[in-house]
Amino acid sequence: MLIGTIAGVVAAAVILLIVLFKMCWRVAEPNEALIISGSKHRTEGLAEGLGFRVVTGRGTLVTPGIQTVRKLSLDLNEADLDVECVTSQGIPVQVKGVVIFKVGDDTVSIANAARRFLDQQKMMGQRVHNVFAGHLRSIVGGLTVEEMIRDRERLTGETRAASGTEMEKLGLIIDSLQIQEILDPTGYIKNLAAPHAAAVQRDARIAAAAADREATEAEQEAFARKAEATRNSGIQQAGYQAEMDTAAARALQAGPLAQAASRQEVVVQETKVAELEGHRKEQQLQAEVRKPADARAYETRTKAEADRDARISAAEAQARETELKAAAEANRVKIAALAEAEATKARGLASAESTRATGQAEAAAAEAKGLAAAEAAKALGLAEAEAIKARAAALAENQEAVVAQQLAEHWPEIVRAGAEAFGNVEHMVLLNGADGMGEMFAKALTMGGTGLGLARQLLGSMNGTAAPEAADHGATGGASGTGGTGATQKSGTHTIPVQGDPIV
Amino acid sequence: MIGYTGRVTGKVGAGLVGEVMVQVPERQGSEAFLAYLALPGDPLPVGTPIVVVEYQPPRTVYIAPAIG
Repeated sequence: MLIGTIAGVVAAAVILLIVLFKMCWRVAEPNEALIISGSKHRTEGLAEGLGFRVVTGRGTLVTPGIQTVRKLSLDLNEADLDVECVTSQGIPVQVKGVVIFKVGDDTVSIANAARRFLDQQKMMGQRVHNVFAGHLRSIVGGLTVEEMIRDRERLTGETRAASGTEMEKLGLIIDSLQIQEILDPTGYIKNLAAPHAAAVQRDARIAAAAADREATEAEQEAFARKAEATRNSGIQQAGYQAEMDTAAARALQAGPLAQAASRQEVVVQETKVAELEGHRKEQQLQAEVRKPADARAYETRTKAEADRDARISAAEAQARETELKAAAEANRVKIAALAEAEATKARGLASAESTRATGQAEAAAAEAKGLAAAEAAKALGLAEAEAIKARAAALAENQEAVVAQQLAEHWPEIVRAGAEAFGNVEHMVLLNGADGMGEMFAKALTMGGTGLGLARQLLGSMNGTAAPEAADHGATGGASGTGGTGATQKSGTHTIPVQGDPIV
Repeated sequence: MIGYTGRVTGKVGAGLVGEVMVQVPERQGSEAFLAYLALPGDPLPVGTPIVVVEYQPPRTVYIAPAIG
């Protein structure tokens, strides 16, 4: 029981405290400012005696009964404007617009606005309209109609220039000034738009005309297509109708045509039967007559062709064999000739080599022989010259002795020369035996003596011409011919009598 | 307010009442202020970054270009 009482008292106290706190704690909404008055409070920028607190965006404790709390809305406000103005061009216009404003967020603006509008917040728009109407006239008076319509920068600049300071006094901020409508009694704006409207109207008419033309062209083309389609359809329908009529006519003629066709079929079949009959007969003839004849002819022709082919093959084989033999022979001959030529060439080369070697050897031998012969001839010539010189000297001294010596030296040759006379005799008849034989040999030897006589004459002439001293001694030179006697010599020389009989 | 930065939203120049949007951290937002040139010079076109040189309550600032 006691505990319950205590708990109830505590709860009541808590509730009481909460209620008291709620009564003392005030919170400013984001879009409002609390103006707290009733206590001495010095605020920067506010004169003494006008002390009040401005609270925004937070809570604060107030003393109920001692301090008064008032709210000033910081929301956006707007004021409609409807003002008759004159532009910088002197053109009267009626301007309808809207101005959007609010209380400034800084403490000074809130304080200024609170002093002016705290009890007249609902009248704030009317007040601003009344203030702003005069400003709007000055703003419009500094602008042309075209600038009002198009140049927003210029409009806002003029608005700030005309009303900015004034709004500061009221603690307000002009967020926006919008010209919604410009009524033009003089028709300036209409005339301003007339050229553009005319150009647009012209373009619209041109576009409409072009569109109409295109539409007309399309329509006419469509009509032409439709007419073409109609024509084609008519032509096709006529064609189909003609086909239908033809089919109907054929249908009407179908009976006679069928009869004629059946008759024609009968004729055709009969013709085919006749043709088949003729064909059968022809086949029969073919089988009975022509085929055997053809077989015999084929046999004969085949045999003849086989014989002919055999003969041709034999002839061709023989010709081929002959050709091959000839070719082989030719090859053999060619190879033999080539071998012979090679051998001949080798033999010729060897012979030429041997001949050349032999010739060189013979030339060397001949050269050596010639050199030796020349040397020998030279020595012989020198010896003969010496001998001739000696003989000449000897002849000069003793001719007979020289001649005798010559005869003695050459006697075998003299006898051989005499015997040569019998060399050409095939049959010799000796008439008188040994005497004839001796006489024969004597005569033959006398022919050798003839040369001795000639030698004697030569020596005599040499003595007559070459020995002047012999001429001085009156020796006679020269021979007197065959059978001549010996000439008289100088003292010491002897004449050898030689019998020179004529050769028989 | 002095030293805060913003940008030109209405042309600022001699003989004009311009407008700038300046970020105010205390009030967690950007606000529009009437703007004049702190020093005579070329007009500042829309979009030019600026810095607040002087503040005249409640809504007037004197500005200079933040760049150059």
